[in-house]
Amino acid sequence: MNSRQCRNLLDDPRVLGWGSVVLVLAVWEIAAWLTGVNSLYLPRPSQIVVALVTMFASGGLVVDLLMTLYRIFAGFAIALVVGVVLGVWISTSWRVRAVADMWVAALYPLPKVTLIPLLIIWLGTGGPFMLTISTLGAIFPILINTVLGVRQCDPGLVLAARDLGATPQQIVRKVLIPSAIPSIFAGVRLGLGVSIILVVAAEMVVGKVGLGARLYLAGQILETEQVFAVLIVLAALGIAVTKAQDFIDIKLGRWRLA
Amino acid sequence: MGGLSVAVEFRDVGLTFPAVAGESVVALSAATCTFEPGKVTAIIGPSGCGKSTLLQIVRGFLEASRGDVVFVDRGSAATAPRPAMSTVWQAFNLFPWLTVLENVAFGLELRGMPKPEREALARKAIQSVDLSGFESKYPRQLSGGMRQRVGIARALVMTPDILLLDEPFGALDAQTRLVLQEQLARLVEESGTTAILVTHSIEEAILLADTIIVMSARPGRVVTDIVVDLPRPRSFATTHDPGYGKLFDRIYALLRDEVMRAIVIESGNR
Repeated sequence: MNSRQCRNLLDDPRVLGWGSVVLVLAVWEIAAWLTGVNSLYLPRPSQIVVALVTMFASGGLVVDLLMTLYRIFAGFAIALVVGVVLGVWISTSWRVRAVADMWVAALYPLPKVTLIPLLIIWLGTGGPFMLTISTLGAIFPILINTVLGVRQCDPGLVLAARDLGATPQQIVRKVLIPSAIPSIFAGVRLGLGVSIILVVAAEMVVGKVGLGARLYLAGQILETEQVFAVLIVLAALGIAVTKAQDFIDIKLGRWRLA
Repeated sequence: MGGLSVAVEFRDVGLTFPAVAGESVVALSAATCTFEPGKVTAIIGPSGCGKSTLLQIVRGFLEASRGDVVFVDRGSAATAPRPAMSTVWQAFNLFPWLTVLENVAFGLELRGMPKPEREALARKAIQSVDLSGFESKYPRQLSGGMRQRVGIARALVMTPDILLLDEPFGALDAQTRLVLQEQLARLVEESGTTAILVTHSIEEAILLADTIIVMSARPGRVVTDIVVDLPRPRSFATTHDPGYGKLFDRIYALLRDEVMRAIVIESGNR
């Protein structure tokens, strides 16, 4: 390979991204091996991969992963529906807006982890608690971005729809929501991120199954390879979610980019 | 087009917006005029004279605070309910997330017309404005002139009794404007629709209208109405007609004073 081909390779963002991962892992593996550091503190990547495979094959990590995914996405789905409906309602009725402004201003900046003790007292530590915490994480960014999106809708489009005979309900469904979709999707991105954080944190505090619970347990018994293995699964989850969102964003953005 | 023969009569119609802070705003002072069925009536006047307000009152989106707006059936001479209307907007107001076809079919979709029917009608309307082949494009992919042709198709496909044109070519460059004026003149002549055109352009008013209503500077009143008796079909060539020049001069003379007054009023408001 000559130097120009090499430079072309370095111009490819995918090569740069994955290359950096491979490079860090390689340096890590060699350094840990050379220095002979105790794997209790820093296991080598190869040991982590072995732990990861073992946990998937026999250790029930699949169950943990599915449980965590279910909690995140079930809560997120509730937040999406409630957030968009509430957001549209807030932006189309000044009375609702007057009431909601107070509550959103009070609850939105509150770190949702601080609600965990109260929610446990009310709901226990089972499914309802997990769903609530996940919903709470996602709902505010979705709601606030829905309100912003609807407010930014060109009034000319509403007028044009009225002119073509749209009822108030049709204006909401066919003009306000579609025009707010880019903004709603920005809220979805933020909300899903918060949901993931909250569900894993809640699992670490009270969960018996789930990635957070598994992570905490592995830490307690000093299984450092397993700690890393769970972290890798969480990182992979993050990548999958981000890439899926990028994909949907491109699909949704066709008319905006065109 | 709609077979209704309903005229719109404005009797001393005014609209004053109540004061939010300070003075109340007179958007339209006292307009008395008639929009006859099957005719194109142009409204021309300086900025801020209430032309668009008048159009919104006809449409029913604004309510007059004085005077009467009456719809009269010319067949029976009885009052009639508000006829069906569609508007072509200066800012186009196309839905950016819908294709050309979906934009044109939008109003029919709202009526609950099944997809095959509404798309067939929309394709026909798109063809009538020479945009066949662009059905699946999005508005952003089109030039300004093409977008407004979509806007015209979207309004015409509703087969309104009255077509409302709110400075339809105001956002377009001079050449595009010329071509679209000719095209719209042809469409209106062929369909025999009733149309009300709000415009800044004397040329546009003469090319398209049967009657031109000249309005005064703010607060807007009707100064006079002028019958355009130039032969149809009209096109750019009509501007060489000696009658065209006379009409142009007459309207310009009326407008010039009003525009000067409008400038004085506006600078006084600063």
